[in-house]
Amino acid sequence: MKRSQIAALAVAHLSDRRRSVLAWGLPLGLMSAFIVAIFPSVQGPIEKAVNDYPEGLKEAFGIGRLTDVEQYLNAEMLSLIVPLALGYLAVRAIASGLSGAAESGRLDVLLSAPVSRRALVAAGFLATAVELAAVLLLTLALTALGSVLAGAGLAISPALAGFANVWPLALVFAGLGVVVCGFSLRTTVVTGATAGVLVSMYVVDLIGRLDSGLSEVRYLSVFRYYGNAIEDGIEPLAFCGVVLFAVALTALGAWLFERRDISA
Amino acid sequence: MAARGAAVIETEGLTKLFDEVHGIADVTMRVEAGEVFGFLGPNGAGKTTTIRTLLDQLHPTAGSARIFGLDSRRDSVAIRARVGNLPGDFGFGPAATGREVVELLARLRGVGGLGRAELLAERFRADLDRPLGQLSRGNRQKVGLITATFHEPELLILDEPTSGLDPLMQEEFLDLVEEERQRGCAVFVSSHELDEVERVCDRVGIVRDGRLIAIERVADLLSRARRRIEVELADPTALAAALAELPGVSDVSVAGQRVSLTVGGEVAPVLKLLASHRVLDIEATHPSLEQVFLTYYREQG
Repeated sequence: MKRSQIAALAVAHLSDRRRSVLAWGLPLGLMSAFIVAIFPSVQGPIEKAVNDYPEGLKEAFGIGRLTDVEQYLNAEMLSLIVPLALGYLAVRAIASGLSGAAESGRLDVLLSAPVSRRALVAAGFLATAVELAAVLLLTLALTALGSVLAGAGLAISPALAGFANVWPLALVFAGLGVVVCGFSLRTTVVTGATAGVLVSMYVVDLIGRLDSGLSEVRYLSVFRYYGNAIEDGIEPLAFCGVVLFAVALTALGAWLFERRDISA
Repeated sequence: MAARGAAVIETEGLTKLFDEVHGIADVTMRVEAGEVFGFLGPNGAGKTTTIRTLLDQLHPTAGSARIFGLDSRRDSVAIRARVGNLPGDFGFGPAATGREVVELLARLRGVGGLGRAELLAERFRADLDRPLGQLSRGNRQKVGLITATFHEPELLILDEPTSGLDPLMQEEFLDLVEEERQRGCAVFVSSHELDEVERVCDRVGIVRDGRLIAIERVADLLSRARRRIEVELADPTALAAALAELPGVSDVSVAGQRVSLTVGGEVAPVLKLLASHRVLDIEATHPSLEQVFLTYYREQG
């Protein structure tokens, strides 16, 4: 695999998906900015309401104390919406580079050049990683802006940790998307199957958290290693482990992709 | 560039089955440097499957393909460095412009400048700056031809290359193929446009239901083909029966003074017999490759 080829393919992939950074980052960022902006005015009633929540529910959705804006941001955005949205975006991004490319004829043109399929997969994964980081950064930037405008006092460092922690989680679903591309190059199949796994893993993790007797099932879900980075900081071992898992899935997907026919 | 006459494509029993019926079976052929090889067959005959198998986009079920002496599967990347390919339905998504596609392919191929691509764009009047989604099929095809040829490949694989091109551009394309041949490039062109195949190809392979049923030199194919001869004779009655007895002669009919007949193979015996009679007029119709192709299909069917 030539690095220059991977870089060229990744840049082309990113250029093709440049609008998606705005299409996903803007709504997520605006929503997140709105959440932090309203916190000062809703803090009292929310604290009271949360105190009345069942303990299991609070634990399931990572709702501890909602005494500061970071915890509120975690409960409203980072425990559900952002990880699921970014996971789905990762699937869409990887599918556009492989199954989508097969359907549009782009793959035929690229594979007319002296490019290995592994290089194509590596470039798609790299571009997806950059796209996810860009969306997360845009979301964080708009969130911080909302906080400044509303005087919510969001601390940037924990917020950065919270958003950054979504990145490896989403990458896992990019890797899983590559694996599915090893079996099918139909975009509906790739996005449908991988998004199904994404939601299933979330539900499995939720069940494990709600019922201590079923806590072992959480090991079936990558959400088990997601944690609460905005409050506890990034757990380096979990962060790196999940990234490595995503890379391993991508490598497996590349191996399968090399062995399949290119036809949607 | 491979030496003229050296094998560029060699397949041996190449088979790709999608199920029990569809695909290609037992395709054995050889294409040489400096040769234009036409791959003929109707839609669904297996032309595109053969091309995609040669390019390692499909993996063969059985048999092998060697290009430049390299294994089409194991050495696929090295092979593609020396090949230019125009897919059957050229596309790259609607947003990319032709220039972006060419620039990306140039980077992937390690080609420094886009000088030849610019010249080809001028020659084919291709608009490289509009998104492909805004181009007609013919104009997209021009961009595809540029991406296939701008890096001066040693082997050109073209799947239905003139599809959508207007007649002027088809002429320009045929000139380009001739220039590539002169350069020593081997050209493997799949088509069902028999006129252009007849004009530009040295040899053709005829594919039917996934099987290569014939490989012939175009000139041989045409010379051996059945000709329609019409002769106007002073006294046709006696001659008609004698003509019908000659080897290779069929469909003899008489209408007034005109005798019509079909001749397969050599025409010398017919001419010898006619020479002993008073011939008022004679007209021989040379069959087009299209007629030959249809005859092949009927006979093999």
